[in-house]
Amino acid sequence: MPENRLQRTGIALAALGTLGAVLLLWMVFFWVPTERTLGIAQRIFYVHVPSAWIAFFAFGIVALCSGVYLWLRDERLDMAALAAAEGGMVFCTIMLLTGPLWARVSWGTWWTWEPRLVLTLLLWFVYFSYFLVRNATENPDQGKRFAAVVGIVGVLDIPLIHVSVTWMRSLHPQPVVLRPDGLSLDPDMFITLMVGLATATMLFLGLFLMRYTVECLKREVDQRRTGSRAAQGA
Amino acid sequence: MDYLRVIWTVARKDLLIEMRTRERIAAMGAFVVLVGVLFNYSIDTAIVRPQEIAPGIIWMTIILGGLLGIGRTFHLEEEDGAFSGVLQTPIPLDALYLGKTAANLVILSLVTVLIFLVFGVFFGLSFGSHPFVLLAVVFHALLGFVGLTTLFSAMSARTTMGESLLPVLVFPLLVPMVIFGVSATSRLFAGRPLSEVAGSVRMLGAFAILSVGAGAMLFRHVVEE
Amino acid sequence: MTIRTCLLVAAILAVSSPELLAQGTDLASQTLGRAYWHVFAAYAIGWIMVLGWVISIARRLVSVERALKGS
Repeated sequence: MPENRLQRTGIALAALGTLGAVLLLWMVFFWVPTERTLGIAQRIFYVHVPSAWIAFFAFGIVALCSGVYLWLRDERLDMAALAAAEGGMVFCTIMLLTGPLWARVSWGTWWTWEPRLVLTLLLWFVYFSYFLVRNATENPDQGKRFAAVVGIVGVLDIPLIHVSVTWMRSLHPQPVVLRPDGLSLDPDMFITLMVGLATATMLFLGLFLMRYTVECLKREVDQRRTGSRAAQGA
Repeated sequence: MDYLRVIWTVARKDLLIEMRTRERIAAMGAFVVLVGVLFNYSIDTAIVRPQEIAPGIIWMTIILGGLLGIGRTFHLEEEDGAFSGVLQTPIPLDALYLGKTAANLVILSLVTVLIFLVFGVFFGLSFGSHPFVLLAVVFHALLGFVGLTTLFSAMSARTTMGESLLPVLVFPLLVPMVIFGVSATSRLFAGRPLSEVAGSVRMLGAFAILSVGAGAMLFRHVVEE
Repeated sequence: MTIRTCLLVAAILAVSSPELLAQGTDLASQTLGRAYWHVFAAYAIGWIMVLGWVISIARRLVSVERALKGS
């Protein structure tokens, strides 16, 4: 069964990702040098940035699958979009929760209207709308189409939102800046960051495949149920 | 030319209905005046000059009032399943969308004029010395707003949550409109040189094209059965 | 198989946490040690969210496999 192969690939990737996460923990706490100005708290960087990367990468998958789903109406694309949306939501939430922890140390406040944070907050709401709309229709096929539309409009608007919040930020620099935005990365820090990115990507892809498999099996159960109900009715 | 005629027919129908019933305009009009009153009490004029925050409260009122009215765009067609009848006709669905958007734009423009008048009177505002540029700013922003909201209004009308879903769907996407709209408006009010406003007008234009284009392409996926 | 993966993950966490705690007290004595709990919270959030998703997927997988066997 193709689902078994996907399941095995998913588990393999997730296991690799878990090992990567353990390696990352070791690197973050034992190996990478401490940043001069911000000290220990700068290590949040290595979980914050990879989560942001995955949140946007996942949304790219959602938008692509949604677009092709509306065009080809292939259920598998919708299932992939759903799985990616769940993963994207998870990592988006991680980014939004670690962001204020980072901002508190960097800038002295829990929330700053920093363009990346704002963009991620809005992305979170687009994900939220995706799920809300999907589950708010009586006809599930309609729900899938609506969610796909939300995904597509979201991906079209996200670059424009990015431009606007960045432009706004350039006009109103933060009054108290303990450290400028662009961190000059030490090579060791760069390696740690890359490990973080690789870990997050593997975890996401592995769990994405698992979630996709679950959805495939769910559809099969539904098909069997409608098949047996039709047979009973006949 | 048929295509344009369809758009005109749909827009004209909606505007005629609105002129006769005045449902949406009345609600939106009352809303903006009353919001003006509430805003007056939410600002401490000893600390803040209304002229300084006027662009912000004007644009928020446009958005909230607009949502109120545009949320009901498809209300008539949803009643008694009339929309199925509309779908039976051979009109291209994107023309239907553009007609609805055009009608909403006209209605919202009227409400926006009312907002500027009422807030101008309530807060003693001066609108700067470039009315046509202000008009361009407002037009582009409204077009983008109406484009997005009409699409999502069709969607929310078909969900169990109805109109309450609309703000959640639309607000994140309106951030560029608010940023560039408020920035351009406040610079115009403050009498700043036009070169500072040009960029915002261009971005609002991009926003409008994006909204209406996306809406026209995706509308059929929202309404088909 | 997924339950085994979960157990593997939990075991790794259990093994690595004493080391982390030990290192923690050393690092906490540095001047910016007050921000140390931020770092802990950030990584805890990361682990909890991802594990939460893993558990949610595992539960759904178990229930759908049970439904498939039943039908």
